[in-house]
Amino acid sequence: MTSTSIAESVKRARRGVGPAGAGRKPGPAPAARARKRFTPRTWTLIAFAAPSLILLLLLNVYPLVYALIQALHDGTLLETGPFVGLKNFGDVLAQPSFWSETSFTVVFTVVGVFGSWLVGLALSLLLRTHIPAGGLFKVLLLLPWIVPTVVSATSWNWLVATPQSPLPVIAEHLGFGNVLFLADPMLAQVVVCLFKVWISFPFMMMMMSSALASVDTNVYEAAKVDGATGWQSFRLITLPLIARTTFVSWILMTIFCVNDFPTIFLLTGGGPAHATTSLVLLAYLTVFQNFQTGPGVAIAFLMTFVLVVISVVLYRQIRKVNVE
Amino acid sequence: MITTSAPQEEVRTGHRDRSGPPADRQTSQDIRQRGKWPRFVLILLMTAVVLVPIVAVFGLSLTPSLGSNAEGLTFENFGNIFTQTAVLTWLGNSLVITAFTVVVAVAVAAPAGYVLSRSRNRLVSGYSLILFVVQSLPVVTSAIPLFILFANLGLVDSLFGVVIIYVGATMSVAIWMMAAYYDSIPIALEEAAWIDGASIFGSFTRIVLRNSLPGILSTAIFSFLLAWNDYLIAVVFLRSDPNYTLPVGLESFFQQNATNWGLVMAVAVVMMLPPIILFAFLNKHFSIGGIGGSLSSR
Repeated sequence: MTSTSIAESVKRARRGVGPAGAGRKPGPAPAARARKRFTPRTWTLIAFAAPSLILLLLLNVYPLVYALIQALHDGTLLETGPFVGLKNFGDVLAQPSFWSETSFTVVFTVVGVFGSWLVGLALSLLLRTHIPAGGLFKVLLLLPWIVPTVVSATSWNWLVATPQSPLPVIAEHLGFGNVLFLADPMLAQVVVCLFKVWISFPFMMMMMSSALASVDTNVYEAAKVDGATGWQSFRLITLPLIARTTFVSWILMTIFCVNDFPTIFLLTGGGPAHATTSLVLLAYLTVFQNFQTGPGVAIAFLMTFVLVVISVVLYRQIRKVNVE
Repeated sequence: MITTSAPQEEVRTGHRDRSGPPADRQTSQDIRQRGKWPRFVLILLMTAVVLVPIVAVFGLSLTPSLGSNAEGLTFENFGNIFTQTAVLTWLGNSLVITAFTVVVAVAVAAPAGYVLSRSRNRLVSGYSLILFVVQSLPVVTSAIPLFILFANLGLVDSLFGVVIIYVGATMSVAIWMMAAYYDSIPIALEEAAWIDGASIFGSFTRIVLRNSLPGILSTAIFSFLLAWNDYLIAVVFLRSDPNYTLPVGLESFFQQNATNWGLVMAVAVVMMLPPIILFAFLNKHFSIGGIGGSLSSR
């Protein structure tokens, strides 16, 4: 028995089969290979994946197909309505507001991804060194990510929204006059982006900390001997070694930012004058406030399409980085 | 342990002072000691700034609210919200929904993550890609069709319906987190069991799962946060006050009592305490960084 399985392993190793192949019960090789798909092992693995596949079909694939159908019809929430082809998409793309909201979504996403990455990376580099009460800081700095968005949005509202709020009062004392942060379109955009960075940096900090933890510090000793400066060893050693996790975290954060509904909705509701309406908010408001299902779904669908293309391209990119 | 600290400073001193290895060590040790406190102050300041909105919630919840004649710090806001609002019902709904989501999400993700971790072929790669794409779909797109589907099934305004959607929303990341953890368990243990005649199912439950408690905890915490914090799905699917979860309840309460900060923040404290307590005890077990490797290696 043992000798056969060893012979099997060697044979499999020669064929280049990975560790997964080792699970197959040793047996007469050709016959087993012919019935490969029907071994108990395969059935078990299919059963393992089945619940997630069913949920995937029910909760993600089915709604996507249905959404596409709705986008091609002029209907309401409860009726599909007459077929109108690509008219909804044309209408949406012809709206000037669609493009201003697209550009806000891009700004929001870029600031959200790179702002939170820079803060998260800086903090994880600081926390990597030996600091008194470092463990406590690590937990405290996670709080913005742990605290529910509804709570932090309420709190930020208290901080900036009314004339009696602390920040406008401070601004007045500093001689800026009575600044209403959420009433001015430009300032409201800045506040929303800052709020997103505040919420997201702990996620980046966790991702970067775990990437930094796997960097072998002996490399730095070697670089030191070769006369590298601090910046050089950061740029040439640290950054390449954490590149993979960095890419993954950028991709995930891009998805989180583009899809982010509560952060903006709860802080500004998309206002003032639609200055902070992102595409997700536009889709939501079109469907649930204006009851225009077709155009609303069309917006969501355009967004989804762009996101899926971006994610698949980037996903393949990470795998290339991994191979290098 | 200590050598891991301040590699950059160390490198810089090494460059300047090349009198010899022992002296070099000495200097970098000194620098580390000297650099420790400025870094501490820097981190302290950043943490203080970051925590302002959270400290404000606690502070305001203890401040007397409008029309109250209490002085100084008081707990009367908490007494008032428990008697005047449905906050206990919302808290109960949130707890039920979150508990079910966590249990079902882990039960679905634990075996699915095993498939992702232990077998590598074209089907599994495709499955992984689909999970990744699904993760990137905006909830708004699927919310509308799901709303119609659930309306026909009588699942709108039901806690059960919301649990199903949360499980779907948390699933992809939960599966990656489990797969990332399984990757760290050597397959040799299972191979030994298979040679002794164990089935895949047997080795999975008796060897893999038994050694995966940290991975399961991480996944559970992640699902907890998602279900506890969600606003969008809850506001679309829960239509009546007795079925509200805390996020929807707090938001509607805030809209009605916008200037009565004491009461609003007391509800906010009720809502943020469970995740904070959870993290205070379990933060050592929570690691999300693994999905970086998990995502990029298959």
